[in-house]
Amino acid sequence: MNENKINLSEFNLSDEELFAPVAQDELASERITAPRYSYWRSVFRVFFRKKINIVALALLAVLIIFSYVYPAVIGYDAAVDPYVNLMDGSTKHLKPADAIAKFGFNLKWILGSGASGNSTFDAIWYGSSISISLALVCAAINMIVGVAIGAVWGFSRKFDIVMTEVYNVVANVPYILLISVIVLIMSASFWSMVFALTVTGWIAIAYFIRTQVIIIRDREYNLASRCLGTPITRIATKNILPFMTSVIVTLVATEIPSYISYEVFLSYIGMGLSDMSLGKLIEAAKSAMITPGWGFEFWSPVAVASIIAVVLYVVGQNLGDASDPRTHM
Amino acid sequence: MTKYLISRILRALFSVVLVIAVIMVMIYSFLDKQSIFANDPSFTKMKLNAKETYMMQQWEKYGYLDYVPFADYLQEEVKAGRLTQEEADSARLAITAEEDDEHTKALVDAFTEKYRSEGYEVERLPGSYKIGTKKYKEGGEPRLYASKDVPLIKRLVTYFTGLIKVDNIHNVESIEGERGLTFTWRDPAYGGEKFSPAIMGNGTSYKYLLYFDDSFPYIHQNLVKIRLGVSYSVNRNIDVFNTMTDAQGPQKFTTITYPSGVVETTADDIHSLRYIPDTKDSSLLNQKYYVDNYTGVTTAKSGLSQMGYSFSIGIISVILAYLLAVPLGVMMALNKDKFIDKLGTFYIVFIMAVPSLGYIFIFRAIGSSFKLPTTFDMQNPTWLMYVLPVISLALPSIANLMKWLRRYMIDQMNSDYVKFARSGGLSEGEIFSKHILKNAIIPIVHGIPGSVLGALTGAIITERVYLVPGIGNVLTEAINKYDNGVIVGVALFYALLSVTSFILGDVLMSILDPRISFSSKTR
Repeated sequence: MNENKINLSEFNLSDEELFAPVAQDELASERITAPRYSYWRSVFRVFFRKKINIVALALLAVLIIFSYVYPAVIGYDAAVDPYVNLMDGSTKHLKPADAIAKFGFNLKWILGSGASGNSTFDAIWYGSSISISLALVCAAINMIVGVAIGAVWGFSRKFDIVMTEVYNVVANVPYILLISVIVLIMSASFWSMVFALTVTGWIAIAYFIRTQVIIIRDREYNLASRCLGTPITRIATKNILPFMTSVIVTLVATEIPSYISYEVFLSYIGMGLSDMSLGKLIEAAKSAMITPGWGFEFWSPVAVASIIAVVLYVVGQNLGDASDPRTHM
Repeated sequence: MTKYLISRILRALFSVVLVIAVIMVMIYSFLDKQSIFANDPSFTKMKLNAKETYMMQQWEKYGYLDYVPFADYLQEEVKAGRLTQEEADSARLAITAEEDDEHTKALVDAFTEKYRSEGYEVERLPGSYKIGTKKYKEGGEPRLYASKDVPLIKRLVTYFTGLIKVDNIHNVESIEGERGLTFTWRDPAYGGEKFSPAIMGNGTSYKYLLYFDDSFPYIHQNLVKIRLGVSYSVNRNIDVFNTMTDAQGPQKFTTITYPSGVVETTADDIHSLRYIPDTKDSSLLNQKYYVDNYTGVTTAKSGLSQMGYSFSIGIISVILAYLLAVPLGVMMALNKDKFIDKLGTFYIVFIMAVPSLGYIFIFRAIGSSFKLPTTFDMQNPTWLMYVLPVISLALPSIANLMKWLRRYMIDQMNSDYVKFARSGGLSEGEIFSKHILKNAIIPIVHGIPGSVLGALTGAIITERVYLVPGIGNVLTEAINKYDNGVIVGVALFYALLSVTSFILGDVLMSILDPRISFSSKTR
């Protein structure tokens, strides 16, 4: 044994490079070594991998600038539009080329003029800001209330019995009736419309979330987790919520365009907002659609509403895909 | 299963009753009841006290309150024998309560006391004279009445008990001849020679209770009438059920034999003969055609009913949607991430994101460039006028079905049983048609009763854009005109359809997929 002993000093090694006894650390042995994983960073990595998402985001930014910044910059006010000229027939219902020829080239005339000689372009962006705000506020309220109640609904069996009956009743009250009654009692203002759309709107989302929670809550890993004594709030937030992120984001993606579409529908049947929203613009221009040469007044708000809805849907849907941890590999 | 179904149906009916209760609270308590007169021409003509009492009468008629005028109370008392006719007739309201004579005062006090104790509000409207005369102004006569709001429970009970009316031979008060039912093999309306069985009644509200004719579904009845709610402004005094189901369009002429034996080619629908008191000799026409007081006829129309038009458009588009969407959805799933899938996804996104109003107008613009009719014409019906509404309804539901079928199929493709089947050596075609499709189609099948019954409710925008005389706009029209009876009736109709389609969907699903059982308790 002694002949085989190596003199370490022969190797010219410093002390740090040599083996040294290490104190036994119980905590360190429990640590799992894995690459650092940040959920949200992975989400965005996956999201930006698709080129179409960058295009859609850029488009979304342009839309938001035009709907929120542009009307503020030009100081647009639907009530006092300086170009409204009821007396002069020659400024009304102009095609883009005619309007530009008449007023000179300006961004505001590139979509022609409307029924009272106003700029269609300005009116559309002002209307979009109202429609987008309505959709965002309604979707936010419905999602927050719906997801919270849906989670409890899925977990508690007693609550389930009560809520299922409530759902049966609420889902069968015609929504047009509900909205019109609320609008008649309150007014057709922005916030009463928000109230009308959210007072029962959350229940469909809650029902959807309830079904998802029921599917996941009885899976084996949750059973195991419960056996280990995990409190129910922790199961809900740590075991189930991550599974639901993609579902929730997908829901948001479909909810927001649906409110924009819905606002247009309500205005069309005469139950919409009193403000000049996109739906109201489309409703006001529906007679212009049939008249040859006036088509721009009708089709431009329809096109803008569609573009907003498509962009929001694409961004939301792809964000939903990206937020599913199974795509992060 | 039967036990489960019965309890399920009972629960569904219970929620329907609750829905109606909620809606009644909403429209009778939350809304201003004055608003029902917004479109009433006779209301604007009324003046002074007559207007007040007219409002009371109408509110009673449409179920808002109980209204008892002083005169009715006096007649009740006469009937009960507590007053003589002369005593009742001599009661005369003076211009104010102080000026009433002794006799009237006593009756007024008795009236006030009786109804106050029953929770009514008693109101006395003083009269008003024309200036300088002792004559009342138009509608200015003094009035006395008691009124009380109908409580919700009573309103619900009256509504649901009055829902179905069965005709019987004691329905009308005075009748000539023997009360009873007669059965005939040869309907006298066709001259008494053609073989056409009918059951006719004497003493019933309708003369024909059951009869055959040459229009679909060939056997018709007047025995059981559904009364969903009387309309106030949409279709005045007509029950909303009739508004939805009565034929529309140009008059339809047939040769019929009137009860008096006169044969004529006419648009009168002789099978709709209804009892109207004291009309037998009221006009020369009635004397010519009729032999008794069954003189009320409706006009036969050759078009479909509102529900008929909506349903025929709806059902064609539902069939078209399922026929196209199932193969298209399967194709998308089979070619996942290939061109077909991307094209289909683009279409789905288009339909989901573009406001429905937008794409219906786009379809309409495309259709009119192909010279398709864009409006509905009941006078000269052609098959072509159905094309655009059907397409407008079918295209969005195709997108919706495709979306879900693709999702379900792709989810199934990744499941273990498919891998097992593949390792067992089954061909891809077999796996798809026999395993994946069978499993993926189940949730789709669940929606079939819903879409078929949903076709009965019509489509709001499509019908407006193409001017279809359908049912879709009944509710919005009723809301815009504050027609409470119609709102409640239509809501009941919708609620019944929706609960029925849910139950039918579940039943259909459990028939198709034996693993799904509703009888055992859920976890």
